[in-house]
Amino acid sequence: MKTKTLILVTLGFLLAGCRQGGGLFEQPGPGQTGIHFSNTLTETDELNILDYLYFYNGGGVAVGDIDNDGLPDIYFSGNQVKNKLYRNKGNLEFEDISARAGVEGNSSWNTGAVMADVNGDGWLDIYVCAVVGINGFRGHNELFINNGDGTFTEQAGQYGLDFDTFSSNAAFFDYDLDGDLDLYLLNHAVHTQDSYGKASLRFERDYDTGDKLLRNDEGRFTDVSEEAGIYGGINGYGLGIAVSDFNQDGYPDLYVGNDFHEDDYYYLNNGDGTFSEQLRSAFGHTSRFSMGSDAADINNDGRPDLISLDMLPQEEVPLKSSEGDDNLQTQRMRIKDYGYYYQFTRNMLYINQPDGKFLETALMSGVAATDWSWSALFADFDQDGWQDLFVSNGIPKRPNDLDFVKFVSNEQISSKISNTKLVDQKALDLMPSGNTHNYVFQGRDSLRFLDRSGSWIRKDTLLSGATAWGDLDRDGDLDLVINNLNQPPTLLINKGGDNRSLTLQLRFKGKNPFGIGSRVYAYHQGGVQMRELQPVRGFQASSEPLIHFGFGDSPMVDSLKVVWPDGQYQVLREVATGQRLEIVPGDTKPYRRHRQEPENPTVFRKIEGALGLDFTHREDNYTDFNREKLIPYSLADRGPAFATGDLDGDGKEDLYFGGSKRIAPEVYLQRDSTYLRYRPESIANDSLQEDVCAVIADFNRDGRNDLLVGSGGADFFGTSQPLLDRYYRNTPAGFEPGPLPENYGNTAVLRPFDFDGDGDLDLFVGNQSDTGRFGVAPDSYLLENQGGTFTRSDSFDGAGLGMVTDALWSDFDGDGQTDLIVIGEWMAPKFFKNQQGRLEPAGEMGPAGLWQRIAPFDMDGDGDPDYVLGNWGTNSKFTASEAYPLKMYVSDFDANGSSETVVATAKDGTYYPLVGLEDLGSQMVMLRRKYPDYSSFAGQPLEAVLGVEALNAARLLQVTELRSGYLSNEGGTFRFRPFPYLLQLAPVMELLVGDFDGDGREEVLAGGNYFGVKPYQGRLDSFPGALIRGENDILPGNRAGLDFMNKSLRHLALVEMGGQPFLLAVYNDAAAEVYQLTHQ
Amino acid sequence: MKATLVSLMGLGLVLGSCKSEPIEITAEELHASMDQLTEVMVHDIFSPPVASRVYAYPTIAAYEIMALNNPGYRPLAGQLTDLGSIPVPEEGKAINYPLAALVAHMDLGRRLIFSEDRFTVFRDSLYGVWESKNRGEFEAARDYGLQVADFIAAWMKEDQYNQTRTMSKFTVDTDDPSRWQPTPPAYMEGIEPHWNKIRPFVIDSAAQFRPTPPPPFSMEEGSDFYRELKEVYDISNEITAKGDASEEIAIAQFWDCNPYVSVTRGHLMFATKKISPGAHWMGITKIACRKTGSGFDDALYAYAKTSISIADAFISCWDEKYRSNLIRPETLINQYIDDNWKPVLQTPPFPEYTSGHSVVSGAAAVALTDVFGDGFAFDDDTELKYGLPVRSFTSFNQAADEAAISRMYGGIHYRAAVEVGVKQGRELGRFVLGELQMKEPGALVQKGS
Repeated sequence: MKTKTLILVTLGFLLAGCRQGGGLFEQPGPGQTGIHFSNTLTETDELNILDYLYFYNGGGVAVGDIDNDGLPDIYFSGNQVKNKLYRNKGNLEFEDISARAGVEGNSSWNTGAVMADVNGDGWLDIYVCAVVGINGFRGHNELFINNGDGTFTEQAGQYGLDFDTFSSNAAFFDYDLDGDLDLYLLNHAVHTQDSYGKASLRFERDYDTGDKLLRNDEGRFTDVSEEAGIYGGINGYGLGIAVSDFNQDGYPDLYVGNDFHEDDYYYLNNGDGTFSEQLRSAFGHTSRFSMGSDAADINNDGRPDLISLDMLPQEEVPLKSSEGDDNLQTQRMRIKDYGYYYQFTRNMLYINQPDGKFLETALMSGVAATDWSWSALFADFDQDGWQDLFVSNGIPKRPNDLDFVKFVSNEQISSKISNTKLVDQKALDLMPSGNTHNYVFQGRDSLRFLDRSGSWIRKDTLLSGATAWGDLDRDGDLDLVINNLNQPPTLLINKGGDNRSLTLQLRFKGKNPFGIGSRVYAYHQGGVQMRELQPVRGFQASSEPLIHFGFGDSPMVDSLKVVWPDGQYQVLREVATGQRLEIVPGDTKPYRRHRQEPENPTVFRKIEGALGLDFTHREDNYTDFNREKLIPYSLADRGPAFATGDLDGDGKEDLYFGGSKRIAPEVYLQRDSTYLRYRPESIANDSLQEDVCAVIADFNRDGRNDLLVGSGGADFFGTSQPLLDRYYRNTPAGFEPGPLPENYGNTAVLRPFDFDGDGDLDLFVGNQSDTGRFGVAPDSYLLENQGGTFTRSDSFDGAGLGMVTDALWSDFDGDGQTDLIVIGEWMAPKFFKNQQGRLEPAGEMGPAGLWQRIAPFDMDGDGDPDYVLGNWGTNSKFTASEAYPLKMYVSDFDANGSSETVVATAKDGTYYPLVGLEDLGSQMVMLRRKYPDYSSFAGQPLEAVLGVEALNAARLLQVTELRSGYLSNEGGTFRFRPFPYLLQLAPVMELLVGDFDGDGREEVLAGGNYFGVKPYQGRLDSFPGALIRGENDILPGNRAGLDFMNKSLRHLALVEMGGQPFLLAVYNDAAAEVYQLTHQ
Repeated sequence: MKATLVSLMGLGLVLGSCKSEPIEITAEELHASMDQLTEVMVHDIFSPPVASRVYAYPTIAAYEIMALNNPGYRPLAGQLTDLGSIPVPEEGKAINYPLAALVAHMDLGRRLIFSEDRFTVFRDSLYGVWESKNRGEFEAARDYGLQVADFIAAWMKEDQYNQTRTMSKFTVDTDDPSRWQPTPPAYMEGIEPHWNKIRPFVIDSAAQFRPTPPPPFSMEEGSDFYRELKEVYDISNEITAKGDASEEIAIAQFWDCNPYVSVTRGHLMFATKKISPGAHWMGITKIACRKTGSGFDDALYAYAKTSISIADAFISCWDEKYRSNLIRPETLINQYIDDNWKPVLQTPPFPEYTSGHSVVSGAAAVALTDVFGDGFAFDDDTELKYGLPVRSFTSFNQAADEAAISRMYGGIHYRAAVEVGVKQGRELGRFVLGELQMKEPGALVQKGS
C-alpha cells in the first residue's frame, strides 16, 4: 500500500517537474506592486556592526488580511526607517496605508513584526519588536490594535507589552489552552563575547536580554517566565522561535534558537502552565550559530519536524575563507568545562521520532549549507504533496572573513576600534560581501531535498532576511514576501502550475478566532499530511494565518481531520481539491490527547539494572587528531573489546569487556539470574593496552575456553609491548599467558575458524593501522593453530591487506569449503577462496567503502548467502560516487620525514581539500608560504594546492560507496545493493543475525553511530538502529524498542540466561545495556 | 604590484649600465632589514618563539660574513651548535663584505617568513639601487652572500623546526585542575609544545637552565600558590581602580608584546597585532646602536649576541612551560574568585610558568649590557608605531625588570613566574656570554665601515 502511494506521488511529481522547467516563481518589481518600502541602513561612526552585533539582522515582515476584505495585506518593519503597511488591492497591486493606519511606529530600532488577533475581536493586530536601551535606541515594543476601520491604535502599554528590551521576535500562541493568545517574547543578549561564560548564566534572569513568557489574563499580559520554567539569562542570543506541538499531547511546545555558544532551548509544555527544557534528551546535537527556524511535517508521518539555520557556506570561496567550527579541544572544553551542548556550524534538520527524540539529517538531506541564513520556511510551493523549503540569505559584510580577522583588520581598523571606537567606513568595506543568493529546495520522499535555486527562483544578490508566505493573489498557491536590506522587498509570486491544492481558512471561536494552534491532517492516497496553524515561523516574521496543502494532480482528498485548539476535532470527507474552504467548528468530538499513532509491536524492551551487568566503557583522553592532524577520522576509539563464552566451565555464557588505555578489562560471570563482576588477576593486570577485540574459545582443546584479546588504540607505536595481542590459556590454576606471534598493528578483528580442518581453531587477525601511518595498509595475518600453539600461516597472504575492520568465514561459492571475506576502510570487500586449506585471493566484490561490519544473511530468500555490509552512511561531509569518489592522498608532501593524509571531495566535478588552510598549513608549512592569505587559498582546487606532480606521486585511496547495503549473491557473483535512507543516517558499526521477533525466521539487527570525527564533521549520532527482515521490510530501531540514538554502538550479542535470550548492546564511552526480547 | 616591481628592476638595469660608484653599506641598512623582518612577522602572525628563530639565523649569517673581514671579530663557527665555517670567497675576488652580509641577512629572512612578496619588494628595491651604482661589485657580493645564505640554511634545516611542525598538538588535560587550559577569548591551542626539541645555539640542552618548580598548586587559602593567585587578582583590581593612566597599566601595555590579540564583537572578529618580546629587544638594540653611533659591523655584533641569547632563552623557557604546564591566573580567577574578571592584557596561548617575557628580557639585557655597558640610559620608542608612548630607562637591566613585573600588572603571570623567570634569563644570558668569544682579545674593533 505504502509503496503504491510513493510511486503515485513520484509520478505526480515527475509530471509537475516537466511543466515547471521555466521557474516556479515570478518576481514583480516595485513599479508593478507599488511596494517601495526599503529597509535602508544608515551606518554612522556611532552605529554600525562594531557597536551593535545585530546591525545587519534586518527588519520584519507579516502577511495577513487586516481589513477582512479577503486579500492578505503586508506589513514591513524597518530597523531605522518607518514601518509600512501595504493594503492588497488585488491583482498584486498594493497601496501604502501606513500613515493613515497609524502603524509607522516610534521606536529607534525595529526588529520582528508579527500579526495576531491579540484582543480576539476578529481583526488582526500588529506587534512590532524593538531593541531599546543600547546605542541610544529609544522606544518600546509596539502593539497596534486594529480598530476595524483601516486604522490602528498603539496600546502596548495597556496590554502590558510595551517592553523596552532587546527584542528580536514575538510569538502569539495559546500555551495554556485557555482560549486566548499568550506571548513568547524572544530577546537577544549583547553579552561580551570575550569569554564563553558558564552555561549556568541562563538561570539568572536579566530583564533586557532574557526571553519572556507572558500569559494573557483578560487582555493584560503577565510575565510568568519564572514560574513557567523559561530561561532568561544574559547569554541567550534568541534569534529563532518555532511553536509546535512537537510531542503531540495537545499543548504547543517551543524550540528557541540561540546564536553563539548558548544552547538552543527545547521547551516541552507540561500542560500545567509550566515547561520543561529537554534539549539534551531529545536532540543529539544542534546548530551553533542558530538563526531562524521552522517546524513542519516534512516526511508526511504526521509529526512536526524542525529546521534550525546556521551560516555554513556551500560555495568553496566563502567556505574556505570564513571562520569555521571550533577545534576539537576547544569544543571539548566548551562542553566539559563550560557546560554547553554539542553544537556545530551548519543547518540542522531534525526529524521527529515516535519516542520523542529527533534524528538529524541535514547533510544527507542536502540542506546543511545555505551560507549566512536568516529565515527558513517549509511549504508545499510546487504542491506535489511534499513540503519544500525556502531559505533567505545574505549579509552585507562577512565579519568572520579570515583575512579580515587576521590581516586586514590590524592595519586598518583595530587601533581605531580599540583606542577611539571610531570606525573608518573604508576599513569596514574591506570585509567581503556575503550577498549570497536565496535557496529554495524541492522536498521529496526519503528526506531528500533538491536544490532548485536558479530554477524556481533567480539567484540574486539581494540581502534577504525576514520572510513570510501567503496567497497574495488568491490563486491557491503560496507566494513569498522577503524584507531585504537597502532594497525594496522581494515578492515571489508562485505561478503554481497544474497541481491541485487546498487552502483552509479556519474560523475558531472566543478570543482565538483565527484558530491559532489548530492542526489539520489530510488523508490522501493512503498517506497523511499534517499542518499546524502557527503563523509565527521563519525569522522575525509571521505568515498568513491559513492552512495550505498540495496534492499533486489529485482531484479529491479522502478526508480532512481538523483538530481545534480546544481539543475537539471534526472530520470532513471526500473534499475536492483546488478550492479554498472556510471551516468552522461543527459536529466536533473530543480528540484523544497523548495519543500515539498505532505502533508496531516492539521487539525489544530495555531492562533496568541490566541483569547485574554494570559495565561502563570509558574512552581515554588520547586523541590521534593531535598527532596526525589531517586524518579524516580517529582510530583511537574503536573499543571496547567484547566477547561471550563460558569462562568458568559452568556451561553458562560469561562476558569479557576490554578497557581503554590504562583501564583494566572486566569479566562478568553468569550466575542463575544475574551477572557477577569477576577480576581474574592475570587478565586484570593487563590494563595498559587498549583492547579493541576479543574472542573466547577453546584453542588448546583442553575442554576449557581460552581468551584471545586484540589490542589497538592508535596511541602506542612502533614495537611497544602494549600493542601486542594476548592469548590467555585457561588452566585449572587460572589464566596463564600463552605465546602468540608478535603483532604490533592496531588489531581490529579476531575471527577464529578451523580453515585447514585439522580440528584446531585457527585465527584470522585483521589489523586496521600501524600507529601514526594512517592510510598505509598494514599487514593482517592468518594464525595456524597446532595443539594450542599459533604460528603465522603461509596459506594466506595478508601483506598490506588494507585498513581491515572485520572479516567473515563463509562459504561464498557454495563448494562446501568455508572461505574468508575481509572488509575495511578505503577498500572493497576482498574474497579469499579456501582451496584445501589455502586461501587464494578471489578478487574484490562490490565497491570500495569505509566498511565497518559484515554479516551473512539471505536477504532475498533464495537460499544462498548474501552479505550485509555496514558502511559510513551518507549523513556526513564525505561524499562519494563511482564518478567522483572520496579521495585520500597519502604522501610526505612537505618532505619533512613524516607523511600527511589529505582528504578531498568533489564539488561540481572539481576536487577540493576537505579542510581549510589553517589545518593544512599547520602540518605543511610550505602552504603558508604559498598562500600568505586566505583569499588566495579559498576556492583553489586540490591540484592547485598540492600540485599535480605531488598528487600523482602520492598514494591514492578512494571510496566510491558510502552507503550501507548488501552484496547480493547472484550465482557466485556479487552485486552491491544499497539500503534505504534509514540505514544511511550514520556509520553502521555492528550487525547481528538472529531471530529477534520470534517469527522463526532470522533478521539482521544493525546499530552504529560514530563520534570520532572533528567538530567540522559534527557528531554522527542519528542512527536509531534497524531490524532488517528483508530488503523492503526494515523496522527502525526506535520503533522496535531500541535506544541506540546518540550513542556509539560497538557490539551486539544474543546471550541466554535462565533459558531466555537477551540482547546485549555494548557502546564506546557509555554504559552497556541489556534488552529483553518481548516475544519471550 | 608585480608590474611595478618589474619596471623598477628594469629601471635599475638601465641606470646601472651608465656609471659605477662604490656601494657603501651602513648600519641603517641593517636596521632596515631587521625592521622589515619584524614588520612581515607581525603581519604573518609569528608566535614569539618562532620569531626568535627568524631573527637569529639571518643575523648569524651576516655576522659570519662580517667576521671574515673584520679582524676584531671572531666567527661563531665552532661556537654555535653544529655550525661549521662558512665558505670563503673565491681567491682574489674582491668582495664588499657588508653588502654580502646584508644580502645573506635579507635572503634568509625572506626564506623564513610567509609573505615572501613583501620581503621581495623590499629586497628588490635595494638590489636595484646597488646594481645601478656598481653592477660588478653588487653581483660579486650578492653571489657570495647567497652562497653563505645557502650554507646557513643547510645548517638551519637540521634544527628540528620542520620536524616539530608535524609533531603532536598539545593535549589539554581537563581533569587536572592545575593544568593549563586555553584562555578567552579565542581559546587558542597551546602554541609550540615541542619548542624544547629545537636545537639550541649555545646552551647544551633545553633543560640546562631548568628553573625551580613553581609553588605547588593549591587552592587552600593559606598556600603559597593561592596567595600568588590572589595577589594577581588584587593588584589587577588595584591598578584598574587607579585607571588607565596609572603607571602600572602603562607598564603592562608597553611590554604587552603579544603578536596576536584577538577581539570578538558578536560575529565580528579582528586582531590587534603587536611585535613579539624578541622584536622589542631587537628594537632596543637598534636604539642603542644608533645612540652609540655603531657602524655596520658593531651593530651586527650587537644583534647577533642579543638574538642568539633570546633564541636560547625561548627554548629554555618553553621547556619549562610545557614541563610545569601550569594553569593561567585568568582561568582560576574566573573559576574560583570572580567569573567576570578579565586581565589587563590578553592571556597568551601557552602555559604560565615561567614568564617568557621575563626570561627573554633577562637574557637580552645581559647581552646588551655586555655590548654597550651597564647604566646605559635610553629612550625606548619601539612601540610608538603601535600607539604606545616612549618610555625611558636607566639601563637594560632596569628595562628587563620592568618587562618582567609588567606581566603581573597585566594579570597574566604569578609572581614566581616573573621573578624566577628573569633570573633564569639572566643566568642563561651570562652563560651565553661566557661561551661565546665574539671579539678578538686585544684587537681594536674598528668603528664603522
